[in-house]
Formats: sequence, structure tokens, C-alpha cells
Amino acid sequence: MTATSPSAGDLVALRLRGGGFDWRSYLLHGAMLLAMLLALGILLVLLADVAMRALPVLTQRPLDFLTSDLSSRPARAGIVQGLIGSLLLVFFVAILAIPVGVGAAVYLEEYARDTRITRFVRTNIRNLAGVPAIVYGLLGLAVFVTLLGLGKILIVGGLTLAILVLPIVVITTSEALRAVPGSIREAALGVGATRWEMVRSHVLPYAAPGILTGTILSLARAFGETAPLLMVGAVAGTFSGHGGLIEQLTGPYTALPTIVFNWAGQPQDEFRSLTAATIVVLVAVILLVNGTAIVLRNRYDRRW
Amino acid sequence: MTHTTRVRPALAGILAVVVLAACSNTGSPTESSAASAGPSVAPVTGTLTISGSSTVEPITSIVAEDFKAKNAGVDYTVDGPGTGDGFALFCNGETDISDASRKIKDEEATACADKGIHYVELKIGIDGISVITSHSNDAVTCLSFLDLYALLGPESQKFAKWSDANALAGELASLDGYGDSHAPYPDAALEVTAPGEESGTYDTFVEFAITKIATAREKDAATRPDYTASGDDNVIIEGVSGSDSSLGWVGFAFADENKDSVKLLEVDGGKGCVAPTPETIASNEYPMSRPLFIYVNTDKEATNPAITAFVDYYLSDAGMAAVTEADYIALSADELAATRSAWEGR
Amino acid sequence: MTSLSALELRVAPGRRRREAFVRAAFAVAAGLTVVVSAAIVLSLLGNALSFILKVDLGALWSDGWFPRRGMYDIKTIVAGTLIIAGIAMLVAAPLGIATALYLSEYAGRRTRSILKPVLELLAAIPSVVLGFFALTWISPNLIQRFTDAPLFSMASAGIAVGILVTPLVSSVAEDAMHAVPDYLREASYGLGARRRTTSVRVVVPAAVSGIVAALLLGISRAIGETMIVAIAAGATGGSLFGLNPLEPGQTMTAAMTALAIGSDQVRGAALTFESLFFVGLLLFLMTLSLNLASEAFVRRVRRLY
Repeated sequence: MTATSPSAGDLVALRLRGGGFDWRSYLLHGAMLLAMLLALGILLVLLADVAMRALPVLTQRPLDFLTSDLSSRPARAGIVQGLIGSLLLVFFVAILAIPVGVGAAVYLEEYARDTRITRFVRTNIRNLAGVPAIVYGLLGLAVFVTLLGLGKILIVGGLTLAILVLPIVVITTSEALRAVPGSIREAALGVGATRWEMVRSHVLPYAAPGILTGTILSLARAFGETAPLLMVGAVAGTFSGHGGLIEQLTGPYTALPTIVFNWAGQPQDEFRSLTAATIVVLVAVILLVNGTAIVLRNRYDRRW
Repeated sequence: MTHTTRVRPALAGILAVVVLAACSNTGSPTESSAASAGPSVAPVTGTLTISGSSTVEPITSIVAEDFKAKNAGVDYTVDGPGTGDGFALFCNGETDISDASRKIKDEEATACADKGIHYVELKIGIDGISVITSHSNDAVTCLSFLDLYALLGPESQKFAKWSDANALAGELASLDGYGDSHAPYPDAALEVTAPGEESGTYDTFVEFAITKIATAREKDAATRPDYTASGDDNVIIEGVSGSDSSLGWVGFAFADENKDSVKLLEVDGGKGCVAPTPETIASNEYPMSRPLFIYVNTDKEATNPAITAFVDYYLSDAGMAAVTEADYIALSADELAATRSAWEGR
Repeated sequence: MTSLSALELRVAPGRRRREAFVRAAFAVAAGLTVVVSAAIVLSLLGNALSFILKVDLGALWSDGWFPRRGMYDIKTIVAGTLIIAGIAMLVAAPLGIATALYLSEYAGRRTRSILKPVLELLAAIPSVVLGFFALTWISPNLIQRFTDAPLFSMASAGIAVGILVTPLVSSVAEDAMHAVPDYLREASYGLGARRRTTSVRVVVPAAVSGIVAALLLGISRAIGETMIVAIAAGATGGSLFGLNPLEPGQTMTAAMTALAIGSDQVRGAALTFESLFFVGLLLFLMTLSLNLASEAFVRRVRRLY
């Protein structure tokens, strides 16, 4: 050992004795803590600010707000048309996107062989999931509103949102199906089940919680989407509530997020409060739905 | 192993809620107001599709709401993409009534004629165009049409400061009848936020402040293109209030409602500086007062009695009350009589 | 013992038909996803091509994006998009990676049970809400307090987009760091390294492909964001080319929204409607290339481990 440079043994001994103040670790720790505080802080400030702005409307006329139609008079304006529109849209998304999405995922995971075509379809779906929502709005505008001439009706909005949500349903369902161990499948095939019988009786029941969580989360996503609806013609002004279900489906419509967008652009102060109140309802519903999905996921999360 | 919760019961639940909600929303709070309306004519049914000016939209929206309260069988849709866009839809037969904050243009009238659409023009209210700047801008209190052309006209492209327009204002000073020039202008940034071309407010502003001078100088009758354009009055108010030496124009009703945020300038149209107030606008003393119109598709009345009933209501005293409720200026008694006879005699 | 003939061992025809039918139905469902893609590309291409063929190409390089005047300066809206995406990543990259690092390497059960839901909550908030928040809180309190910017500015929209994108970056980056195999960490600790050194010198470099993928996905999401910019960035009717983030500005997505909210037969230059699809195609191509690049980086991670 030379006298000038410390030996390896000296270095380890020095480190074990904790020599020197490790400011870099504190710096990193501080930076990460700051990031977490910022994330938490932003969320709290946002929720608090919106809640405070919404207070006048929510305390003075909560029920009226939830049951009134849109109006130019802020004192009378309400969001019932948006609530119904959003519910109907989500319903459409559910009946269109879930069967098709789950079906496609089942095909890709259980039936398809690993060929170039299958890999192309999978990549295609992943890319579709990353396409901005507004492009789906363009698709709806070009195909449903213009080409097929359906006009600016709720069914078109539902179709557009269903297509938007479809890739997400396929991806989450695929992941849920992949998580089911192969032994379960082999057990069914071993007693002579056809592939569909195996999927129906062995795979799907076990994957159901994951599929359910995924579909609920995608429905929540559709509930909050605005840009595609604006593209395909959700009403930007006021309109009267239509009569029966058929008229609602084939007539003008709006949704909670589009109401938020329209009211955010109104100059009167009272509309700020109305916008905030609508946001409270919107966020409350979304958080409720997301929370339910997470609770379900945790409750039924099986450990293989 | 139990079959875990399926999507099916959840879907059934959603479906039930949705159907219940949809079916129960057949009428908004109409019962109480219908009862208090007193003995009414036999209620009408039909659908009204109204589009056009975002300035007139609040008025029409109020009238439509009140009309529906008396006639539960009527459904309406009112929106405000802009006077120009509204006429495009109207002359394509897609709307029943078009709101407009300016008269129909010749090319639009031709487009309507080409499609065989007959209409009647009804003046329903008055609004002014207010030129606005920020409260921090003390240097400017009045602008004449000459100044407005120098600052905002087609030859002012790329003027980044008020003072850049001094030279042009000097040239224009020789022109008569457009008010006195208020140059030299302050040496401050000129940030313009104003309506875009889809807006009738834009057209009316151009018609008042730009067109005549532009024609005299053989230029395009349009404003300079380089400013922040928005169809959203809120953006304009906020844009103008947010910067110290801003400039913009917007309907008087909006400007007046937001006079805490923006400063309404006096305008000199050749007869001295006049401040915009409901009185000066109604009397036309304020040089940029403009009428508000609705255009009604008379062909559609045959198949849609709701249109006739709606316009009857609109022009009645109860309907016209919406104009002042929306903070616009009501027609004088003579003007209202003229509109009513235009409607009767269509 | 009963004996079975070969005939009885065959699947009953009813079951076989059902099996074939179900298989076909699912295949159709999978095929529909391809149909959707094709429809997107075709609808965009058709109108976009029609625009390119009809437009006066000089209009694509004018002073600003004023579609109703026939001025279709592409660089204005692309610049707006990139500026806002840039500001967004300035917010989301540090926040996202720092939270991901903490969750992956440092967090105990209690911190994780707070931090994860916070991020999931942020991810669930719709973009309209963030747009409203940008207009009513971020702009007056964070931007206007320290600068003389107007209420509508690209900076306030950019910050809100950054908040929107942070949970995405955090989640993908955390997955990448989590995927780094434990033997690498153990080797590092075995040599006497402290946690910081292991995290920063071992885990992060190993996960760098995944982190890059996270950032690319974040940029892609920021580019495609519509509602925040439509509400908070201002210039919806048209804007000049400008690079100052403290001014209002227009992105590709906001331009598309403004065009669509007008009527189908918008006034002004006749190409206004088709320009909508042209911009849409540009947007689609940009986000597609970012997403493909991101996937390539994720594949690299999988290959290495």
C-alpha cells in the first residue's frame, strides 16, 4: 500500500463510519418531496378553488340547479340536460364499446395465432389508444354527421365516444385476460370444452373483475370528454328538453363537459359560479365512478 | 366458484336510470308558469331552430324560454356561432330564424334567393359598438373614425405601438367628416383583442369606422389582420383589461356589464366625442349604434305554425321586454310599430 | 366399463357451429378496430388532400392563422402547439420523474397510499376542468402576478397541460423503474452504495428507455390536448405568428375547435372546412410518430431485461 492513496479497506471503513455530510442525498430527497407536495398541493388548490366558487350556486339553489334547463338567465340556468345527455352518451358507449372491445380482446388473446396480421392489429390498437380525442371528433364529423348525413344528434355523439373508448377497452381487457394463468385454460380444455366454452366458463369469470374495472374506467373517461362532442355538434347555446327517449336520442343534446366549456366562456360573473358548480358535479361523478372501480379491483384482486 | 359481478346488472341499472330520467324530463318547470300565464291561446307545437349572432342570442334565448313556458309542445334550439355563420345556415334552409347584429349582405341575400328561401327582416333592438381600452390607459379618452382607421384599418398591419400610426393619421387628417384626429398617439404597445370575421360585431365596426375611409383611399374594407381574434366576448374583455395599453371593440351591452374591467372610450364620428350610453345610442347621437335583427324564413311558416306564434310572441310587449332584460336598448315606439307592420305585411 | 366409439368422441355439431359462430363474431370485433383506423386515416386524408390541392400554397406561409381570411399559416399553429407542449413538459417532466423515482425506490406503504391516489385523482380530472382552473386561478395567481401578461396566455395553458400530463409521465416512468430487475439493485447495495447512488446511478440509467418513452408519451398527450388551450390560451379566431409564451396563442387543436364550432359551411374562404381536416391530419401524424417512437423505446427496455 502506498502512502499517498487510501486503500480499499480504508475507503470501506470510512464509508461504514459515515464520514462526511451527504448533501446530495438530502438534495434529492428534498426535490422528490417538493414534487410530491406540488402534486398534492395542485390537486388541493384546484378542488378547493372550484368548490369555493361553486358555493353560491350550490348553497342557494342546489336542487333547482340540478333540475333546470340551460338558460341565458344565470339565475335560472341548470344542468339537467347535461346530466341526461351525459348519461345517455355513457349508456351508448357501454352498449357499443364494451361488447366489441371485449370481443376483440378475447379474439386476440384466446383465438388468434401470433402472426404478422395479429401483431399488426395489436400495434394498431395501441396506436389508436394514443390518438388525440379531437381526431375521433373529426372522424365522427366526417363519417357520421356529413357522409352518413345523420346530423348533429345524440346517437352520433355516442358513436363517436364509443369509438374513442374502444381501444382502451380492448387493452384493459387483454391485460385482464393475460393475467389468468394457463392452467385454468388447460383444465377446461382437458375435459373437452371447446375454446368458447373454455373462455366463457373458465377464463371470463376469473378475468371479470379486471375487465369490469377497465370498462368502468373507460366509461368514466368518456363521461369527461369534451372535444369530440364539440366537433360532432353538441349544442353550444340553449335548447329545450325534448320529450320521449327517441326524441332525446335523435335530437340536439349536450353533456356536462360541454356545458362547462360553454359557460366558461360567458362574461357574466354569475356564470363563473355556475361553471364551478357544474365542475363540482362532473368531478364528483367521475371520482365516484373511479373510486368504485378501484374498490372493486382491490376487493376482487386475486392472487394466483 | 361464483360468477363474479357482471357488467349486465350494472348495465341494466344504468339503463333503468337513464330511461326514467329521460322520460321524466318531458317538461322543464313549465307547470307553474303556465298556470300563472292566465288564459292563453291554444298552445302550439313544433320545433324552432334558431342560430346566428352571439350578440342577439341572449335576447332570443330568453324569448324562446318564455315562449316554451307558455307552449310546452314547442322545442327549440338557440345558439350563436356568429352572424355570418348563421346566415350560411339560414340560406341553406337549415334554420328557421337567423339572429343578426347587422343587415344581411348582398351576397348572402343572393345565396338565399338561389336556394329559393324567402324571409322577412325584423328589427328588434338596438346595440352600440363600444371601443374599449384598459383602465390604466389614461392617455386616450376619445377616438374618432380617423383614429380608428389609423390604428385598426387595413393599412395598419404590423403597427406594434400606438405611435406607429402617427404618420398615417397625419395623412388622413385632411379627410373631412370622420372626426378630429387625436394623434399623436402614446408611445405604448398596441395590443388589439377584438371579434373575428364570423361576428356581426366585426362587420358593423368595419362598416362604421373603416369602409368609407378605405374606399376613399382605395383599400380593402377590412381591419388589419394581425390581432387576437375571438368570437368569445369574454376573451375580448379579458384581453383588453389584461394589458395596459390595449384596444378592442365589443358590443355595448357586454362592455357596459364589464365597465369595471375595461374603459369605454368616447367616439367621434364627425360630430364630436360622444360617450356611449343607452340614451346616446338610442338617439343615434353615438356614432356607432347598430340595430339588431331577426330574419324569419316565411316559407317554413306554412308547415311550422310554431314559427308564426313565436315571432308573434317575440314582437309582443312581453317578448320585447327581453331586449332590455338582456341589457340591450329597446326600440322606440315608432320603430317597434314599423317592425310589427313589417311582420304583419309579409 | 362402457366403450365409446370414435363417433361419440367428436364434438356435437351444435357445439361446433356455436364455436365457429362465436369465433367469427370475435374476429369481426377485432377487425372493426382496423376498420376504425382505416376510417380515421381515410377521412382525414380525403379532406386534407382536397384542401392541399385547392389552396394557394402561398397562403400556407402567411403572417398568421386566420382561416376566414384565407390565411393558413401552418407555422403559427405548430409553433403554438410546440410552445405549449414545451411549457407542459417543463412542468411534467420533473414532477413526473421525481414522483416516479420516489414511488419506485423510496416510498414506504404510508406515503405510497397517499401519493398514488393523489396521482390517480389528478389523472381522472377532465381537461375542461383544468382549462377553467388555468383561466381562473393559474393565470391570475401564477402568471399575472409576476409578469404583465394578459389573462389569456400560452403560459397559463401550458402549465395546466403540464399538470394534466404529469400523472401519465409518472405512471409510465414508474413502471419502467419498477421493471429494473432487483439483482441490479442488490449488486449495487452489495458494493456499499447508498440508496441515492443506487437510484440515480443504477436504476435510472437502466430504466432510461422507459423514461424516454414516458416523456414521449407526455409530449404526444400535450400536443393533442384541446380543451385547456381552447379555454385558456385565447386567440380562437386567429392569431399572428408569435413565440412569446406570455401572449395568447393558438394551437392546432384550438384552431380545429374554433373551425368546427362555426357552421359547416363557414363563411370566408371556401376552404375553411377542409382546412380543419388538414390540421387534423398534421396532428394525427405528429402524435402517431411520437407514439411509435415511444413504443420503440419500451421494446428496448423489454429486450434488455
